[in-house]
Amino acid sequence: MSQAGIRWLQLGSVLAMLGVWEVVARAGWVDPLFVPAPSAVLGGFAAIGPAALAGLADTLTKTAIAYALSVLLGVAAGLVLGSLPRVSAALNPFVVALYGIPKILVLPWILLLLGFGTVPAIVYGTLHGFFPILVLVSGAVRDVDRHLLTVARAFGARPWQLYLKVILPAIVPSVLAAMRLGIVFCLLGVLVVEMFAGVRGIGHVLGSLANGFQAAPLFAATALVSAASIAIVLGLDAANERLSRWRG
Amino acid sequence: MSVALVRLGLLAALLAAWEIAARAGNPALYVPPSAALPALGALLALRSYPTLPAHFLLTLREVVAAYALAVAAGLAVGFGLGLNRTLGRAYGPILAALYAVPAVVWYPSLMLFFGLDAASKIAFGFLLGFFPITLAVLAGMRQVSAHLVTVARAFGAGPVTVFVKVMLPGMLFTLVGGLRTGLALSVIGVIVGEILGSKAGMGSLITHAYGLLRTADYVALVVVTLALIVGCDGAASLLERRAARWTA
Repeated sequence: MSQAGIRWLQLGSVLAMLGVWEVVARAGWVDPLFVPAPSAVLGGFAAIGPAALAGLADTLTKTAIAYALSVLLGVAAGLVLGSLPRVSAALNPFVVALYGIPKILVLPWILLLLGFGTVPAIVYGTLHGFFPILVLVSGAVRDVDRHLLTVARAFGARPWQLYLKVILPAIVPSVLAAMRLGIVFCLLGVLVVEMFAGVRGIGHVLGSLANGFQAAPLFAATALVSAASIAIVLGLDAANERLSRWRG
Repeated sequence: MSVALVRLGLLAALLAAWEIAARAGNPALYVPPSAALPALGALLALRSYPTLPAHFLLTLREVVAAYALAVAAGLAVGFGLGLNRTLGRAYGPILAALYAVPAVVWYPSLMLFFGLDAASKIAFGFLLGFFPITLAVLAGMRQVSAHLVTVARAFGAGPVTVFVKVMLPGMLFTLVGGLRTGLALSVIGVIVGEILGSKAGMGSLITHAYGLLRTADYVALVVVTLALIVGCDGAASLLERRAARWTA
């Protein structure tokens, strides 16, 4: 099937699904208290639009700060661990353990230490993004072609030149991949905190709509966050592709 | 000095520093190891939470149910999309886009629909486990060499033989990796669900201890939950190693 045909099939299936859902909801086969019709969800969007958009903006701001922190810290720590194989060998089990622990288990403790509000959301989001970036970047630094390093050293490159001219350019693809991975984790972390102990943000909005049995606005807000995160990831993908085309 | 010794020394130093810092600061908040160990003992002797075994088993049952559903649906959807080119090209990108949404966004809707009991945790664990399994099947099928399939067909192999003798061995490594990731995520999904809102299970005990500021009990509960998580992952890694031996 042609690419255009595929697009029509995608569009058709989504529309068909919405249509079936609408019919099922209208016919009363599902309880509208739990599953509102798509048309009702549209109405729900109108009802909570401003509040949801403000919450989303709040969430995205926190996510942006957490993301910047986790990229900065993750790349820096990855460079250090990747350049010092002995240190990294000693620390490896700790990194694996901290990376592997489901962060949700330490969330209550973070809240006890930092209270409710913006700071724990940023810290928890940073924690989510930091480890995957650290692991990917340190692996990339370790895997830089040894020949390149030897040749650069043989030609008298100083350590800072080694980093600037050989290692950093070599790890760019891994850093980009890590950044693509990290953003979803950061957003996830911020949303979890907002749901568990939020006073603001779209996660808090979602949680309170669910507790209030307001299904239509809840579905609308869920669709809004989903669309925003898909747009962010697709945007990063597009930027990534353009960069790699530029690198050649 | 061997790496293992350095690691042990680091661990001891870390625990000692934690102990000193916690005693100097607020022991109720920072829970020194000397307070956490007795709490763990009291927990395991069923003094602090006599109903621990029931909660532990409930969480385990939820994990098993969520993972079984995720494996069944993930394999079915993955092979369905992988074996049919048109379906794969139409719905594969939609799945990948949905995977870019932080899954916790769906949790309030699931909680509204399935209620506060086990069903919403199973549904969330299923959702988290489903995507990596489906995507691993799709990625694995792309890895199978088309030449091998063509040659097998040319020698008269039927579809079943091609599937069992060529495709499955060729993709097994990726498939098993996806199954393992899926299990880890199903476990996390169940526990996140329990912590965000539940009446029973390990997550509910954790939020209970946190809510009453019983921090030592909270640490002990986290340790027990971690044992559950590590146990699940250990079982998965055993299976992975066996699969690796089979293909080798």
